[in-house]
Amino acid sequence: MSSGPGAAVEVESLPAKAGSGNRVALVIGAGSVKCAAALGLQKVLAREGIAIDMVVGCSGGSLYAALIALGIEVDEAEEMTRRLWTQELTKKRHYASLLRAMLPQLFPFQESFGLVDDRLILDRLKVAFGGHKFEEARIPLFLTATDFHNGEQVVFSSGSLVDAIRASIAIPYVFRPWRVGDRLFVDGFLCDPMPVGVAIKHGANVIVTLGFESPYQHRVTSVLKFAFQLSSIMSNNLLRANYAFHNLAHHTEILPIIPQFRERISLFDTDKIPYVIEEGERAAERELPYLRRLLGMTNP
Amino acid sequence: MEIAVEKREGATVVSIDGSVDGMSAPQLVAAFREQIGGGNPRLVGNLASVDYTSSAGLRALLETVKDARQHGGDLRLAAVRPEVLRVLELSGFTSILQVFPDVDAAVASFTA
Repeated sequence: MSSGPGAAVEVESLPAKAGSGNRVALVIGAGSVKCAAALGLQKVLAREGIAIDMVVGCSGGSLYAALIALGIEVDEAEEMTRRLWTQELTKKRHYASLLRAMLPQLFPFQESFGLVDDRLILDRLKVAFGGHKFEEARIPLFLTATDFHNGEQVVFSSGSLVDAIRASIAIPYVFRPWRVGDRLFVDGFLCDPMPVGVAIKHGANVIVTLGFESPYQHRVTSVLKFAFQLSSIMSNNLLRANYAFHNLAHHTEILPIIPQFRERISLFDTDKIPYVIEEGERAAERELPYLRRLLGMTNP
Repeated sequence: MEIAVEKREGATVVSIDGSVDGMSAPQLVAAFREQIGGGNPRLVGNLASVDYTSSAGLRALLETVKDARQHGGDLRLAAVRPEVLRVLELSGFTSILQVFPDVDAAVASFTA
């Protein structure tokens, strides 16, 4: 186990497959509702008969990575995430955290701090993924979170999907850090918003990435929006820095899929998921000719 | 990928037509290297007809800009399409490479 900040730590990993052929990874980074574009991308890959050897997910991308790895059909996955990820999730404050922040002499501050009551998101994750474990995934699945105490990237690849996803989406200040075993985790984007390195480490040589810069707030009118704004600034700068590093430091071919949204997609715009999926499909179509050539397939 | 080279006052314009990816990157690097080796390290990459770049393309651009700068010149990009510009921005390239709206502006920047 490495100990430096930002170093990847495996909670448990699958062995890399042997063989000389291409190993294709799909990496779905942070991006909340925009990550639904991964379903459009998956539709195109499935239609073209392009097999994925592993799926990596982070933050909002962890939801879609899990759905794709479990083999859930696009329509069902769309419906599941529409039910799961709604504005309602942030409506109720976590008053104990607020009291501990504002009156620490009366209520000692605890590291498990979050402005939002996280019971609803947990309940919904349990409904969506409750019975599932990584071991049931049809495609090897890796989800990332960040160790709250030392900043290490932690890769989940076995055990409860609910725990791993809840850890991966623990948006700082918003959702409380999540404990798994004796470790406390925060959102995966805090160490790498698009964890391409996980795919490289597991032997992928063709990596299709889908990730997004976090939107900035037009007006910061609440503590929650203030928290989101700070997260966006950090996350976007980290995304560019890490993405540049992975593109330049390795000889792996990284294909960015960048959907073009004509309208602003906010954190909880779940009603726009069908549109987001369509744009994901369109973006995938644009990259398809090169991907096919890269994989030795004949273009029509 | 098609590559055309044009000598201008103050810079050499390398116009690229096609994708800058793992299959075409070696050809592109060779074309740039030929210019640098021939005493023309002031380069303008005209990307008006480039519709795609992958990580291999980014590596080719980085290798070239380092080489050009070591020889006293630079690689500056012109007429980058939005879809390629987004990849350059995402990977931080716009912070290390100068990008101009058109070839004339990029060429002029070498004599400004």
